[in-house]
Amino acid sequence: MKMDHSLPLEYSTDQNKLNILGFWIFLGAEIMLFATLFASYFTLANRTGNGPTGAEIFEITPVLIETFLLLTSSFTIGLGIHAMRLGKQKAMLTFFSVTLLLGLAFLGVEIYEFVHYVHVGAGLQTSAFTSILLTTLGTHGAHVTLGLFWGLFIILQIKKRGLTPQTANKSFIFSLYWHFLDVVWIFIFSFIYLKGMM
Amino acid sequence: MKELFPAKQVLGFAFSILLTVVALAVIFLDMSFQMGMLILLVTAFVQAGVQLIVFMHAGETEDRPAIYTNIYYGVIIAIVTVLGTLLTMVWDM
Amino acid sequence: MEFFERFAVPHPSPAIYASMVAIGLVVIAIIAGLTYFKKWGYLWREWLTTVDHKRIGIMYLISALIMLFRGGVDAVMMRAQLSAPENTLLDAQHYNEIFTTHGVVMIIFMAMPFIFALMNIVVPLQIGARDVAFPRLNALSFWLFFMGAMLFNISFVVGGSPDAGWTSYFPLAGNDFSTSVGTNYYMLAIQISGIGSLMTGINMITTILRMRAPGMTLMKMPMFTWSTFIANVIIVFAFPVLTVALAMGTMDRLFGTQFFTMENGGMDMLWANLFWVWGHPEVYILILPAFGIYSEVISTFSRKNLYGYKSMVASMVVISLMSFLVWVHHFFTMGQGALTNSIFSITTMAIAVPTGVKIFNWLLTMYKGKITITTPMLYSLLFIPLFTLGGVTGVMLAMSAADYQYHNTMFLVAHFHNVIIPGVVFAMLAGLTYYWPKMFGFMLNEKIGKWTAWLLSIGFLLAFMPMYITGLDGQARRMYTYSEATGFGTLNMISFVGAIIMAVGFALIVYNVYYSTRYASRDISSDPWDARTLEWSTHNPVPEYNFAIVPEVKSSQALWDAKKEGHNLFKGKYEEIHMPNNSGAPFLMSVVFFIWGFAMIFSLWIPAIIATIGIFAFMAHRSFEQDHGHHISVKEIEETETKMRGAK
Repeated sequence: MKMDHSLPLEYSTDQNKLNILGFWIFLGAEIMLFATLFASYFTLANRTGNGPTGAEIFEITPVLIETFLLLTSSFTIGLGIHAMRLGKQKAMLTFFSVTLLLGLAFLGVEIYEFVHYVHVGAGLQTSAFTSILLTTLGTHGAHVTLGLFWGLFIILQIKKRGLTPQTANKSFIFSLYWHFLDVVWIFIFSFIYLKGMM
Repeated sequence: MKELFPAKQVLGFAFSILLTVVALAVIFLDMSFQMGMLILLVTAFVQAGVQLIVFMHAGETEDRPAIYTNIYYGVIIAIVTVLGTLLTMVWDM
Repeated sequence: MEFFERFAVPHPSPAIYASMVAIGLVVIAIIAGLTYFKKWGYLWREWLTTVDHKRIGIMYLISALIMLFRGGVDAVMMRAQLSAPENTLLDAQHYNEIFTTHGVVMIIFMAMPFIFALMNIVVPLQIGARDVAFPRLNALSFWLFFMGAMLFNISFVVGGSPDAGWTSYFPLAGNDFSTSVGTNYYMLAIQISGIGSLMTGINMITTILRMRAPGMTLMKMPMFTWSTFIANVIIVFAFPVLTVALAMGTMDRLFGTQFFTMENGGMDMLWANLFWVWGHPEVYILILPAFGIYSEVISTFSRKNLYGYKSMVASMVVISLMSFLVWVHHFFTMGQGALTNSIFSITTMAIAVPTGVKIFNWLLTMYKGKITITTPMLYSLLFIPLFTLGGVTGVMLAMSAADYQYHNTMFLVAHFHNVIIPGVVFAMLAGLTYYWPKMFGFMLNEKIGKWTAWLLSIGFLLAFMPMYITGLDGQARRMYTYSEATGFGTLNMISFVGAIIMAVGFALIVYNVYYSTRYASRDISSDPWDARTLEWSTHNPVPEYNFAIVPEVKSSQALWDAKKEGHNLFKGKYEEIHMPNNSGAPFLMSVVFFIWGFAMIFSLWIPAIIATIGIFAFMAHRSFEQDHGHHISVKEIEETETKMRGAK
């Protein structure tokens, strides 16, 4: 396997470069996936039928907690990649673990939020608005859940195999995924919650 | 310890927190819908840009043009889809 | 007993029972044949687990041809039903099912795999690469497509076919009006194969961006590679829309959500909107690779460089953006205001311009060229006038005010068949004939090939020109019959005759494969057409590693220039080649996807949950797996190369 030592470990082989570019293109597809959900959300946001409106059910406190948890986790995974590039495996694993814990906390608050919505009569089947709201949030939440497992697997692999071109490559790609989920959340925060409460 | 917290990323994080706080103004201050949307659009897109450049290292290899083209293309098509759908389904229905 | 009743076909007929028996017999025959000839191991090792882009391409090709016949039988049945007024060959329900499956099968399970077949076989060879960027993912893409297709095709014997049209508009496709599981099949089978298509898109873009031979800059890529690149860009940005729309449709049908319902705020029109946000780019996903094939074929058989290379590329880039700006023209009559309709009318007319540029480029490529009329060239020559006709009626349909007259009539049906058959199908058949020697090491018979091209063209004109007339006279699409007083009888009978002639043409393709396999000479060079691009510079059939030495490229016609100027494309000596390992995981994972889809369709929640866990288990396994591929030694390469050269 040809190695290129002028670049960080995650770019060091041809396959690694392919993987990173391929994942960026996948993120392009993810942009469209969420754009479609947003387009549907904006179309259906005022179509509440007999159900509640957004302003009636949104609560700012859990949303703010979720936002700060996810923003911080995006920061810590960035630090994790920085540590990885310095070759500090232990610091990197700490940052990755913190990231996953923050992600888990985010998920916990989101589950609380969902329970709250169902409790106040905004279930998946209530109206077009609640259907698209829960589907959009749920799609993001499912991505976070998948990310938690993925991140855990990567931590286990680094513990077992150390920082190799393969594990570094996976970690970097995972960080792209995690930052992207943060970007999506910012749009959910701004255009679903804040716009809904405005 | 200090080398683990590069200034660029710490500042990026502080900036994103700041943007979030600014965005919160739309619900705590009294303003028109248009003004509120303007603030949200600016803060959200700037925030996304911060993530892209500071944290995601989008421009560090020879694939930079491909990656940026990909993202811009995606964002343009996404905006067209959202606005076109709204035009057809809501504003002009 | 109640449990099994859900699998019964709601509207059985003798034809469906006969199909059940036929399917059963074919499955038994395949299993018996594989066992008798002891081919299970061969099938598993060489095909089911392969990650070789050429073999995956061939599997796409076989699937596409089988689906072509499935969809073709549907087409002939529809034309037979309509050949006479008040015909009773099919009842309304069967007719609904047949036009639905005809559309889905032809677009999603015939045209898409056909272009993927050619992309897979040609693109890595054309750019001088040894495989695609993600070979394992490529295998997964194929198997997901294949399982989606199989899932869709069992619908007519298990539980009932979808019957709400290939567009599956709500509320017709909702639970109130489509009570059978048919539309569930539609939602889930397309979802599974759509995920495969998205992966192919990512794979091809990465391959083309990063794996080109040294010297091949973007503006020195052959035109088919360019068209593949642009088509895959459209795939990556269009297919997620379909994914979301199908997921929402599935949730409406299975979980009682309110996206497209008629109450509680649901908006049925949103489905049509989302469907066409994907659906219109999809049209260009199909036609751009077709244009790429025509560009290669016309340039090769005119013995000239492609005229206007830069404008060809520019027009495709413009098309890729504009294809996302025209979708509303599919539902001008839905009720949105004049402003929206005007905007989308103008964008629709504008997108005809870059397509027109391409037509002129092909004509100018042929101008003063030394044209040899081979079968692929004959298809290209027939394509230009026939496709232009379809393009012009498309501009007619683009005018939103006039569209109120044409909408949902046979005029529209004639239009889109007029662009898809001469545009996509002819290109695929041209590509099939052109690349056949590259895939199998012998040529298809030219005489039978030309007969096929002529029969298809004549059949096409007879089948679809009358529809323009009956459409303008008011014959609606998707109506299973019409009264004698309408006077549509004669023209529809002509259409039926045309459909039969086309069927004969397609049957001739099968005969040609049989005839050529038996009688064609195996003693052909690696470059039988005297072609211009890299795929013809390696052996026939292509060795596993494609190129023993990676070629160095100076122009978009690398091989032609090398032949004319006498320079060597392959400098340097043999080095060890790294190749990916085969894997059974893509096939097995797709089988689990099939089970998942089937369980979801019939609301069998426990198997669905188990299958979902299974899918994630495969992903987890992939995460932990370490697979570094294998190396082909210099000695092995030398042996293969000597043998191949001897065989030539």
